[in-house]
Amino acid sequence: MRSIKHFIEQSWLLITAAFSCGLLLALTNAALGPRIQRIEIGEMYDMMKRLMPQANEFEKVIPQAEIAGNITDVYAAIDKEKQVLGFSFVGTGYGFADQIKLVIAVNTDCSKLLGFDILYSNETPGFGSRMTEDWFRQQFVDAPAGTLELIKSGQPDKEKDQILALSGATVTSTAVVNIFNNHIGMLRELLKEKGFIKD
Amino acid sequence: MNDTTELNLGRTFTTGIWEQNPVFRLLLGMCPTLAVTSAVKPALTMSLCVTFVLLCSNISVSLMRNLLKPHLRILMFTLMIATFVTIADLFLKAYAPDMSKALGPYVALIIVNCIIIGRAEACASKSNLFVSITDALGMSVGFTFALCILASVRELLGAGTIFGYPVLSGGWFTPWLAMSLPGGAFLTLGLLLGLINVITKRNK
Repeated sequence: MRSIKHFIEQSWLLITAAFSCGLLLALTNAALGPRIQRIEIGEMYDMMKRLMPQANEFEKVIPQAEIAGNITDVYAAIDKEKQVLGFSFVGTGYGFADQIKLVIAVNTDCSKLLGFDILYSNETPGFGSRMTEDWFRQQFVDAPAGTLELIKSGQPDKEKDQILALSGATVTSTAVVNIFNNHIGMLRELLKEKGFIKD
Repeated sequence: MNDTTELNLGRTFTTGIWEQNPVFRLLLGMCPTLAVTSAVKPALTMSLCVTFVLLCSNISVSLMRNLLKPHLRILMFTLMIATFVTIADLFLKAYAPDMSKALGPYVALIIVNCIIIGRAEACASKSNLFVSITDALGMSVGFTFALCILASVRELLGAGTIFGYPVLSGGWFTPWLAMSLPGGAFLTLGLLLGLINVITKRNK
């Protein structure tokens, strides 16, 4: 009994503060959470639209799909004639400093890449951060959706699935290529399984 | 409030801006100082976040200062600071998502910023509410001043702009990429510290 009294005397303020802080955080999250989620979805929609500009709308065809150990929604890009133009999803991997999240678009039968945009990255400024540059991202547009190979110098051969790395940012370049290699094959299998693409 | 109290509050406020500037004199908060000062906009955003956290943390610590157990005080400080940093982070994500992305993990790292826990320990846990608030505001202004000076120099020389607006343009100026990188941050901070030491010595 004395030890319980002693425990309460010593820790009542800490316990009260912990509950109060938890409540404050829960209220803040409840108030701001929906807005934050709308912003994230809006960002993703903007990126998908930039990757597939002919798309009129994006329909979530596979919610909460598990691809390469990550949970993501797979969207189908649909034009005005209600034809499917391609598919898009968020691929995640680890770069030099932090996670890298890419919005990746592929064509209707998952045989060709349509490109990618960066949803989240925290790579070194001036080095890995240069993965946003057009010349680097353009290498992935119309590339075959096979296993990509990273090369550090020379002229990349698109038909051989070669991607030229960013100078001084091999780790980031490898991370981006690995995201594609880890996700595209599994996406193709998933789309076949759900009947969106034929064998 | 009498004249002496007002004078003391005034002194408390101005001490944080120059005499005990947290960056230039106390050399605290070096991580965000070096990391987010490649441009003025992120530096200012970081300063606002630190101001919010410092103010809220000083107020809450001051209000409970007579109830704090000595062996649990650091835990309490950390709990308060972490809560307010998380709230600041959520607000940034909701209302300034671009800045939230630009600042990256450095917003969360405000939790371990020595300025905040230092002022909680040195001032808020021993002073009344008015003194704690004044101290928080003085330190925040000092921190903002330091970050903005550093960011202005780095952005001007590293990109030729201030707050994103072109200042050094016209083809004659080649931006020094090094100023946008960590090396430039250390160099600029070192030179500014030297300059402030010279000014302080002359004033004495």
